[in-house]
Amino acid sequence: MNCGEIARQAPLYITGELDARQAAEFDAHLRTCEECMRELERQARIDARLREAVLAEEDDTSRIDRRVREMIAAKAAGEPVPQLRPRFRGWVAAALAIAAAAIVLAGVGYRTLVRQPLAPVYAAAARDHGIEVVQHQWRPWLTDPSQIATLAEQQGIARSAVTALASGGYRLSRGKLCFLDHRIFLHLVYTDGIREFSVYLRTRDSKPLPVAAREISNGKPLCTSDLDGEHVASIETPQLTAVIVTNESSDTALKLARFASAVL
Amino acid sequence: MPHARSLLRVARRVASDASSAEDLVQETLLRAWKGFDQFETGTNARAWLFRIMFNAFYAQGRKRRSGPVLVPLEHAEPEPEPSTRPLSGWTDAVSVSRALNRLSEEHRAVLLLGVVEGFKCREIAEILSLPIGTVMSRLSRARQALREQLQAPDPRPQESRARAACAEREAS
Repeated sequence: MNCGEIARQAPLYITGELDARQAAEFDAHLRTCEECMRELERQARIDARLREAVLAEEDDTSRIDRRVREMIAAKAAGEPVPQLRPRFRGWVAAALAIAAAAIVLAGVGYRTLVRQPLAPVYAAAARDHGIEVVQHQWRPWLTDPSQIATLAEQQGIARSAVTALASGGYRLSRGKLCFLDHRIFLHLVYTDGIREFSVYLRTRDSKPLPVAAREISNGKPLCTSDLDGEHVASIETPQLTAVIVTNESSDTALKLARFASAVL
Repeated sequence: MPHARSLLRVARRVASDASSAEDLVQETLLRAWKGFDQFETGTNARAWLFRIMFNAFYAQGRKRRSGPVLVPLEHAEPEPEPSTRPLSGWTDAVSVSRALNRLSEEHRAVLLLGVVEGFKCREIAEILSLPIGTVMSRLSRARQALREQLQAPDPRPQESRARAACAEREAS
């Protein structure tokens, strides 16, 4: 590949859509072409800034949720369908029966419609884990454990916390800083070679996460939630907030959080 | 609602105002329910929803759309002069947000889908009903345009910038 081809194929490289041969050629060019490597790094930095900027904003969907919930509740009770916005009136009633069935079929369930608002940091953590770990978006990560530990120290997090979280065959894979709900977290990824989970750490804020504790584990409040296919759990120690995200199961998230409560 | 937050995040930046964005997401969800039998089990439900949303958006016609997206009030915060960089996380987010809003609608759309929402080029092509080659070149041009906007001087009037800098000094 030449530099022009690299520039053309870069979007596919970043999203991991090149086939193995093309990806190998791409990597080989980057090893020998400093300018292309720098350009890709510049792109990655701007991508990261854009993502952090947009994801830092809170998007409140409660009004939309409420409108739809009201329609379904009215239909179930046999009451007139609330008129929401004039241009939707015509086909809202026709859509209702299908909507109610579709929700059940999709496995969403009524509970999802009426669930309480969650801590924005949970949603941000679930989204971040989904994109950066599950989908393996190309990001600049630190992989050297000592550099990651130094990064932790710079954020006021003890070096020992980084290593303490590796257990049960899991080892520290990589780390970097990220924004969740306007706040900087240290994002650590641990792997057993096949599966991966994320831990987002920051020094404890003055106010706790606005989520009701599921249990007290080792004297620390432990919260859990499932969001968009990701399973999130958090613990808060006197010094740290730790948010754990896995796409394995809610049980795995709970076990990891209990372990974290024992070692942090 | 699953994916409603993702949909709203993108809608807010392609629709002309917050109210239109909410309408668009609501319309998307209702269209999805109405056409749920057309969804192929095992395919990407999120991409399917975004495709419905962009179809609805384009069906509304260009008369409903205007130029730059309105910046939410909470983000109309002071922005430091270039000399004060490196920026703190918050002020950098404001700069990036403003730069994104100054891009064309088509550039905003591919950046939001590809960079923020993490869709692959192939998925973006399906969502926007474009050839994948067009998506690739548009993404490259959009990244370049964003970079240029981030390097460009603040277009706000000098007085406004002075007030902003003053407010920032007081805040610190």
